[in-house]
Amino acid sequence: MSWSDPARRFEPAEDVQLRAELRELLGLQPAPQRAAVPVTEELASLAEDLRKEALRRRRTERRRPSWGLIAAAALPLLAALAGLGTWGVQQKQRADGLAAHAQRQEAELSRIAAANAAELARERKAKEEAQQQLQLVAQALPKKSLPYLVIPVNKPLRLQGEDYQRVKEKPGQ
Amino acid sequence: MEERQPETPFGDLDAFHGAFAELYPRLVSYARRYGATFAEDIAQEAFVILMQREERVEHPTAFLYGTVRTLSLTERRPMKNQNLSLEAVTEPGLAGGADDQVLNQEVRERMRMLSPTFREALWLFVVEGLSIREIADILGIPEATVKTRIHRAKAQLKDQLNPSGGVHVLV
Repeated sequence: MSWSDPARRFEPAEDVQLRAELRELLGLQPAPQRAAVPVTEELASLAEDLRKEALRRRRTERRRPSWGLIAAAALPLLAALAGLGTWGVQQKQRADGLAAHAQRQEAELSRIAAANAAELARERKAKEEAQQQLQLVAQALPKKSLPYLVIPVNKPLRLQGEDYQRVKEKPGQ
Repeated sequence: MEERQPETPFGDLDAFHGAFAELYPRLVSYARRYGATFAEDIAQEAFVILMQREERVEHPTAFLYGTVRTLSLTERRPMKNQNLSLEAVTEPGLAGGADDQVLNQEVRERMRMLSPTFREALWLFVVEGLSIREIADILGIPEATVKTRIHRAKAQLKDQLNPSGGVHVLV
């Protein structure tokens, strides 16, 4: 248990006991304390070569796209979508404004039309009242004379032999 | 005093060299037990893969053993039997670990009688001296499964010692 793995330092006592029992069953000697293996020049060189090879592979290996990279790649799309959404919202607001303006204009026109209709009705009523008054006045006035020429005379013309006044001479006279 | 940041999974450079000197021969031996032809290359590649990782490795030793196991099995993939082999132990000079010299013929025979699944967990636990947690990391199985395999291996060993089914004398 002298290996440099920290996780191996804490082994339950029951496992140690089980290992000892199994060694006994197999006829093995009790586990000797492992002496530290001397690090020879050759082993140290090999370990160093392997470590450098691992570092070289770590630097040169083709990395899988991380979430950050995927997010960065998706950023233009997200920006375009956000821009499109903003533009859409703006267009909707603009359309809503235009619709409200048109509605206000329509209401104003309706109000003006109603006012005009009321004014017209009032004028008609006034006209009718004026005509009625005119008729009343006309009825109160004396009746109109006959529609032919009346020459008022102080005394009736009495021609001899004729009881009328010739107003038109016969042709050739 | 500002604490120095470890440069390797084992700590500073000296700690890494010490761990490498201790683990490298064991990993080479471990790869050979899986029948790897290029056991040294596999052990070195395991170290490079460990050092290459930017994320912190909780159990570097278990990671190395697991990587060596995977690489050895990959090398042996065309072969059908991918279980831990003990052939290397029986062939002199092929397995250079100090523990191999400790294992006598009787021990090797006892382990050979075990099922390959139990043998692998037992080997890592007893001979390599790894913890249950590390073995679970290496084999990619839960710790409870490792414990189960080890206890079943223990039962099989007891059965070997007492084949008649009587009371075990070694309890």
